[in-house]
Amino acid sequence: MKKSSFHILRVGLAITFLWIGILIFKNPEAWGGYLEPWAVGLLPIPLSEAMIGTAIIDIIIGALLLTDTLIWLAALAGAIHLVIVLAVSGITDITVRDIGLLAGLIAIIADSLPQTIQNKIVFMKTRKPEYQGRSPEHN
Amino acid sequence: MTAFALLFTLSAIGTSETVYLVRKRIASEQPVCLIGEDCTLVLTSRYNKLFIIPNDVLGLLFYIAVSFIAGFLVIGIEPLAFWAFVFKLSVAIGALISLFFTYLQWRVIRAWCFWCLMSAFTIWLMEGIILISSFI
Repeated sequence: MKKSSFHILRVGLAITFLWIGILIFKNPEAWGGYLEPWAVGLLPIPLSEAMIGTAIIDIIIGALLLTDTLIWLAALAGAIHLVIVLAVSGITDITVRDIGLLAGLIAIIADSLPQTIQNKIVFMKTRKPEYQGRSPEHN
Repeated sequence: MTAFALLFTLSAIGTSETVYLVRKRIASEQPVCLIGEDCTLVLTSRYNKLFIIPNDVLGLLFYIAVSFIAGFLVIGIEPLAFWAFVFKLSVAIGALISLFFTYLQWRVIRAWCFWCLMSAFTIWLMEGIILISSFI
């Protein structure tokens, strides 16, 4: 990804996560209303406490993205978090926004993964040119 | 609420920008100068510190503090009147200091730094939003 576009996406997603975290802190019960009843039933702790935990996770992810620290890990945590949100909130009118955010996070993961992990993922391996040592015209 | 959303967004942008400048300075690398070529000239000038603290660190502390206070005001952490006063005062002081630094670039250093101007415009925009929202 082009360097500037990567940073614009990173900061944009960071602001989204931070702001959502603050809004959940403001009114955790209301945000808990988005959860499907079956998902609420699975919670081992009260809904408001679970939502405050979600807000803290959102703020940590946002802060890491904003300060350009452990980007791939923050984006991975954000993507997993969003998949869980999609699973427990069901398909609604605002689902499409979460899909957009998820796509942005996956793009950041793909672009910021450490080389050691990239090498273990077959489809992300950089293919070595077969014409090493010779100009491409000779092939 | 809308004003706080905008103010928080601007302070977050400022935070990311100053984190970038602090990191570049610590790594002794030149920051990318998106517009113009004089960023390094301004950032390494004798005016790059205020009270022995580098300006990028001061800016970072300012933006982090403002982000936190905006968050406190949205969540409703008491005393709200105190936080609102500190918030307005901080942004007003920040806007005046930015005005001073912009003057330094214009008249004293005679070079423009993209990141410094971006930070100045961010703070002025924050001050503008505060002023406009107080009249609405």
